[in-house]
Amino acid sequence: MSTTPVLPTPGDAPSSIGVPPEPRSPARGVWARVRHVALPFGSLLLFLVLWQLLAASGTWSETLVPSPAKVWDAFVNVSTTHDGVRGYNGTYLVEHLGISLRRIALGAGIGIALGVLSGLLMGTVGWVRSLFEPWITFLRTLPPLAYFSLLVIWLGINEEPKVTLLAVAAFPPVAVSTTTAVVAVPKSLVEAARALGASRWDVVRDVVVPSALPQTLTGVRLAVGVAYSSLVAAELVNGLPGIGGMVKDAANYNNTPVVLVGIIAIGVSGLIIDGLLLRLERTAVPWRGHA
Amino acid sequence: MSSSEITGTVQGAGTARSGSVRIDHVTHRYGRGGETFTAVGPLDLTVPAGECLVLVGASGCGKSTLLRLIAGFERPTHGSVRVCGAEPRPGETAGVVFQTPRLFPWRTVRGNIDLALRYAGVERARWPERRAELLARVGLDGTERRRVWEISGGQQQRVAIARALAAENPLLLLDEPFAALDALTRERLQEDVRRVTDLTGRTTVFVTHSADEAVFLGSRIVVLTRSPGTVALDLPISLPRGDVDAEELRGSREFAELRAQVSHAVKAAAAT
Repeated sequence: MSTTPVLPTPGDAPSSIGVPPEPRSPARGVWARVRHVALPFGSLLLFLVLWQLLAASGTWSETLVPSPAKVWDAFVNVSTTHDGVRGYNGTYLVEHLGISLRRIALGAGIGIALGVLSGLLMGTVGWVRSLFEPWITFLRTLPPLAYFSLLVIWLGINEEPKVTLLAVAAFPPVAVSTTTAVVAVPKSLVEAARALGASRWDVVRDVVVPSALPQTLTGVRLAVGVAYSSLVAAELVNGLPGIGGMVKDAANYNNTPVVLVGIIAIGVSGLIIDGLLLRLERTAVPWRGHA
Repeated sequence: MSSSEITGTVQGAGTARSGSVRIDHVTHRYGRGGETFTAVGPLDLTVPAGECLVLVGASGCGKSTLLRLIAGFERPTHGSVRVCGAEPRPGETAGVVFQTPRLFPWRTVRGNIDLALRYAGVERARWPERRAELLARVGLDGTERRRVWEISGGQQQRVAIARALAAENPLLLLDEPFAALDALTRERLQEDVRRVTDLTGRTTVFVTHSADEAVFLGSRIVVLTRSPGTVALDLPISLPRGDVDAEELRGSREFAELRAQVSHAVKAAAAT
């Protein structure tokens, strides 16, 4: 027996089969760092250089393509008090952004809450889904600008139409993804819960909701994105103070540098918020992919 | 309590918590109108309290359907199923272990057990004690905080068994629970189930296609014919139960003879 070659025990089998050894060479680690840090910054730098060259070439007038330095100056201007003027139109850039973010938080928050509720309802009760799904699809295909005029007629020009527009824009993605997620809840887990003595309500709370959570959170991210891209539309009328209103107002005066500052501020804050939501998604649903 | 139960003497068949099953002229058909398919029956079967009945048959003989009828997931097309004289209801009649563990991935091992205890109406103050008892009974001490996808398939099925035992229902139903496991893990779990049924005296219905598993676990074996499932062989098993050496039992001549008999009956029934 001792002369026979050593056979792998059953316990060793998984490690010796199928999984290729992972070469962790230093070169590979450096490349990963280059890819995650250097490439994004490199592309940003390249973009700035091209922009500068384009502006300096004089192909287009300064009103159409202002140089990066001009945009930077505009950024400093709208962020500080200069010649007795506070920021842009009496409000600093951060404050414009803050006011808009509050509108988004309120509007998208309402839209997301309603979307989750109606998604749960539509996913669990068949006839409710048949009743509302066409309407939601209809709403989803409309560009927010199309119903903004109507909202202004109905609700005036203050906060109400802006928040409503953001809510209406955020609602469909969440409703659709929650419905899909609820419909796709594994029957086997529902049956397992019922076999343990779960009531209908227990099943919804302990199986349907957690099972639908990953896809619902993806819907929330989409909804915040949609609300964000509707921001300028929501602040078209009486949008000052507000970052979208600032962009609109600056455009009226052909103040391209401030328009660009506003666009960049919207884009960067959007990236940060999406990153935060992605992190929330990862910590809230560690079981994603294990269901 | 748990340790005394493990080492304690075997309880007599039919404790207060175990129940009897009566199946009267049961037929079950799937589908409607002209295109129906008879999965079970007509079938008559009585399972006295405390028995460990193993249903054996080739795949598609309706044994899983029969289990679903006893659990109350389905109502028979004809005839009646009674557990302790009443119509079976999911969650009240039987603890069920399915072919796959069906654990809730958003809960830890502990969370899965706790959910079962809550549905069973166990007082929250008693959860820690009951949880420890259940986990010890299936040999899972120390895994409470693990995520269910981090533990092996065999351990997952152990959690499923613990969860099914939480409610102390009159019946324990197992539907080919070890089919997907490796041979070594399967034998271990068979020994555990045998011990658990002996200790609790709970009426158990175990579905399998393996003659070996049937002879090892059953105090009675029923072989079903191919669809529609009817009884082809009804065999009481008098192998020693309780504190026995599993290896010795599996290697005994009596075991081999019974296995051959069941295996033969399954093949004959599948051919009909």
